[in-house]
Amino acid sequence: MFFRMIKGALFRQKSKMIMIAVTIALGASLATAMLNIMLDVGDKVNQELKAYGANITVVPKENSVLNELYSLDEKEETAAAHLKEDDLGKIKTIFWGFNILDFTPFVNTYAELPNGEAVKLTGTWFNHHLALNTGEELDAGIHSLRSWWDVKNGQWIDEQSGSGGENPAMVGVALAEKLGVSTGDKLEVKTSKGSKALVITGVYDAGGDEDEQIFTTLKTAQELSDTKGLIDSIEVSALTTPDNELARKAATKGPASLSPADYETWYCTAYVSSICYQIQEAIPDSVASPVRQVAESEGTILDKTQLLMILITILSLFGSALGISNLVTASVMERSNEIGLLKAIGARDNRISGIVLTEIIITAVAGGVAGYFMGYGFAQIIGHTVFNSAIEMKPMVIPVVAVLIIIVTLLGSIPAIRMLLRLRPAEVLHGR
Amino acid sequence: MSLLEIKNVSKIYGPLKALDGVNLTVENGEWLAIMGPSGSGKSTMMNIIGCMDKPSLGEVILDGADIAKESGKKLTEIRRDKIGLIFQQFHLINYLTAVENVMVSQYYHSMPDEKEAMEALERVGLAERAKHLPSQLSGGEQQRVCIARALINHPEIVLADEPTGNLDEANENIVIDIFKQLHRQGTTLIVVTHDPEVAEVAQRTVVLEHGRLVKEIINENFEE
Amino acid sequence: MLVALLAIAVGATILSGLVTIYYDVPRQMGEQFRNYGANMIFTPSGSDKLSTDAINKAKGIIDGKELVGTAPYRYENITVYERPLMAAATDFDGAEKTSPYWRIDGEWPAKSGEALVGKETAATLDLRAGDTVTLVYDLEGQTSGTKPSKKTERNQNSLEFRVTGVLDTGGNEEKYIFISIADMESLTGKSDIFDMTELSVSASQEQLSDYAEKISSGVDGLSARLVKRVTQSENTVLSKLQALVLLVTIIVLLLTMICVATTMMAVVTERRKEVGLRKALGASNRSIIFEFMGEGLLLGAIGGLLGSIFGFIFAQAVSINVFNSSIQFHWVLIPVTLLVSVLVTGISCVLPVRSATDVDPALVLKGE
Repeated sequence: MFFRMIKGALFRQKSKMIMIAVTIALGASLATAMLNIMLDVGDKVNQELKAYGANITVVPKENSVLNELYSLDEKEETAAAHLKEDDLGKIKTIFWGFNILDFTPFVNTYAELPNGEAVKLTGTWFNHHLALNTGEELDAGIHSLRSWWDVKNGQWIDEQSGSGGENPAMVGVALAEKLGVSTGDKLEVKTSKGSKALVITGVYDAGGDEDEQIFTTLKTAQELSDTKGLIDSIEVSALTTPDNELARKAATKGPASLSPADYETWYCTAYVSSICYQIQEAIPDSVASPVRQVAESEGTILDKTQLLMILITILSLFGSALGISNLVTASVMERSNEIGLLKAIGARDNRISGIVLTEIIITAVAGGVAGYFMGYGFAQIIGHTVFNSAIEMKPMVIPVVAVLIIIVTLLGSIPAIRMLLRLRPAEVLHGR
Repeated sequence: MSLLEIKNVSKIYGPLKALDGVNLTVENGEWLAIMGPSGSGKSTMMNIIGCMDKPSLGEVILDGADIAKESGKKLTEIRRDKIGLIFQQFHLINYLTAVENVMVSQYYHSMPDEKEAMEALERVGLAERAKHLPSQLSGGEQQRVCIARALINHPEIVLADEPTGNLDEANENIVIDIFKQLHRQGTTLIVVTHDPEVAEVAQRTVVLEHGRLVKEIINENFEE
Repeated sequence: MLVALLAIAVGATILSGLVTIYYDVPRQMGEQFRNYGANMIFTPSGSDKLSTDAINKAKGIIDGKELVGTAPYRYENITVYERPLMAAATDFDGAEKTSPYWRIDGEWPAKSGEALVGKETAATLDLRAGDTVTLVYDLEGQTSGTKPSKKTERNQNSLEFRVTGVLDTGGNEEKYIFISIADMESLTGKSDIFDMTELSVSASQEQLSDYAEKISSGVDGLSARLVKRVTQSENTVLSKLQALVLLVTIIVLLLTMICVATTMMAVVTERRKEVGLRKALGASNRSIIFEFMGEGLLLGAIGGLLGSIFGFIFAQAVSINVFNSSIQFHWVLIPVTLLVSVLVTGISCVLPVRSATDVDPALVLKGE
């Protein structure tokens, strides 16, 4: 009988129940979408912030201390210490290797131009294709690490297609103007170790010191500086977690100062300092340090964005909770007659509540499930429109939304049911 | 012992005395009509007899127990076991079919039994309409479902509040016929009404005015 | 009715709160992006150095409200214990604003005779906060590459500084020693010359290019350039964030409005009997719809007003929590919120009332 009553209530007053279910579904979809976006916004914005370029630089150990200290006149060659090119792949093998989005090696040297002027020449990766032992594939290089470069004419060096011939080069806009060269031209450069004719594939505007430099492939620069297989520095772009007290302590006092438990937490969290530490472990004789300008600001902006989303989420959860409980209350109040009658024919209070609650919860579950999938859709719409990538659906959102919906519907219905039960059936049935 | 004894019962709402020292005795198997104009205290009387309300003063002894002293939970139980209610507004649950509406009453009393519920509907001549929703039934049919529901648990008293108030003459006659049949079967019937035609067919009629019993008429030509 | 009012008020709160946030987020977020430091630099053009006059004139072109900070820099070669080093003079208050990402182990220098030492240099010289260091400036201007043996023959000026902190930036700054401008002037004996100036301006990329052009053409001996890395990236990221907040706002608003509408509809549907009764009493459909509309509009207006107030309070709370700054109140939002809530309630009122008026009053009154 219980089920017959519920079935009757649910199926013979479809429009009413559908309206309640739709409202619950809307609320649930709002909660689902907002919670998922809130949980994923950190990662998404973090990815976007990679536009600012590398947040970690790796240099050889000796250099990091002495680094050009004695050569403030930068035109002198300082081939003191080097990192090994072969070690580069190891960066992706660290504990947080998955968080390493991009990295590129640099070889710096000074070359003499035909007019006798010295210019800084940097060899690097542009879109170097890496196939790692782990089976992962990656295009690494400054094409994405210098997202703000504006290539005025010509184009980026494409290492994979090998366009631009043997010795392709990109020239800074300031230097190109000074020399009067443009895309397609040949540029003769000379160092103490040899000379080469570079083919200019593009002119870039970097809005900084790099505008006076020449960028070429790693191989060309190594040949010109006679440092085959060696590199001067590495820039790494990694997804990091904003620093907290623990990370700050590890960064200033050194990881050795941490307690074993703290150390483990620190090591297993993607703080910029722990990633640096792990890079140092992976690459022999290296010092990795965070680029504060990028790392610090990233943290601030991530924190703020997340906090903002959390507050907006709270507002919308609050709104949908009120919306649902409101409607549920209204729909229960509507049933005063029915509840009065059931009391009059001798139904006990708890059995009446049981029936009404079961109906509402069934409706809520149906609405909630529909709402979850609607919310999934909304989250994906936002993900694709804003970030051009899917929002990851966290499984933990499901129980949160489920509990929320159940609590809200119960909160919306129980006080109303109790109020109706307190009424004497006589009042309800004879009232009017 | 009488089935129902109302001793000096008053019901006071603020300054208003809805019932004022009413004494009434109803014997087992009796058919009583309570008449009176609007505001005479009929509904209050019906609520008190139907265990849906308690008197402010006095005793209401139903089947030997004073319901004025019982708790709300106990009253629910008495109502369930001893009283069958028929309403002017029918009060059927609109998303349940006729037979299901009857079964609801069984459900809260003991166990729902569809066969028994069908038999009850048959007795009021509605067997073929059993699967219809209230909205698909006429007023008279709805009232008959209501009667079937009131009878299903074999109550000691059937209490009807203006049972014909919303019905046309043809349906009124059907309902009165059913009451006659019930009386013959020995059911105690209390009908609250302001319609003299409905009161006339009862064994005894009491008239309420301003909360007092002012007149008692014994129907001389009552046909058993 | 309370139910309906509550629903409308909540809807209106969300509306006005979110829209306020949406309007204010670009401004507030823009300020957060100033964490990335200077987005414009002044460099000398023509002459070798910048003068204070030129810098001030150029600064004057930028709207004072948008200017977050300016820090002029002057670099000089000096020696410490015969090691050639680079000393940078700057206005520390300005530097703190243009380079908020600087991490200092110790304190910022507050008075004359105090210095900030870059991390690398500090390691080389084994300096810590609280130590003292003597900077030596060669008045003849040839430090670099000179052999220590020539020391005695040189005309030198030296000053002692107390190290207040060690600077960690992960960049070139770690190699320098930072001192105040006044100290640099007394060390070198030359004043009013700067190599470059860093500015942090809270403005859009177009606005910045506009400023840069005006300054470069308007001020002699000075050219303004944008730090592309900062401006370009800010443009990308900020526009994404804005799009995110916009979309979230739209979806939340849409769903909330539907929620409000369904609740209103439920509340009005409940009153079908009343509609039947009025019809039975001889009211025309039109007058019933008007009456219900009037009630709905009043509710909408009250709810909208409450919502505007609570929405602003919410937005204010968000702003203070997230950005530590208060929010601007947009008066235009009050009529907008009122209008939307009145519209939503009006529409969601009319539909059920209309369907109720179409029914025969007898049926409405009789049926349950």
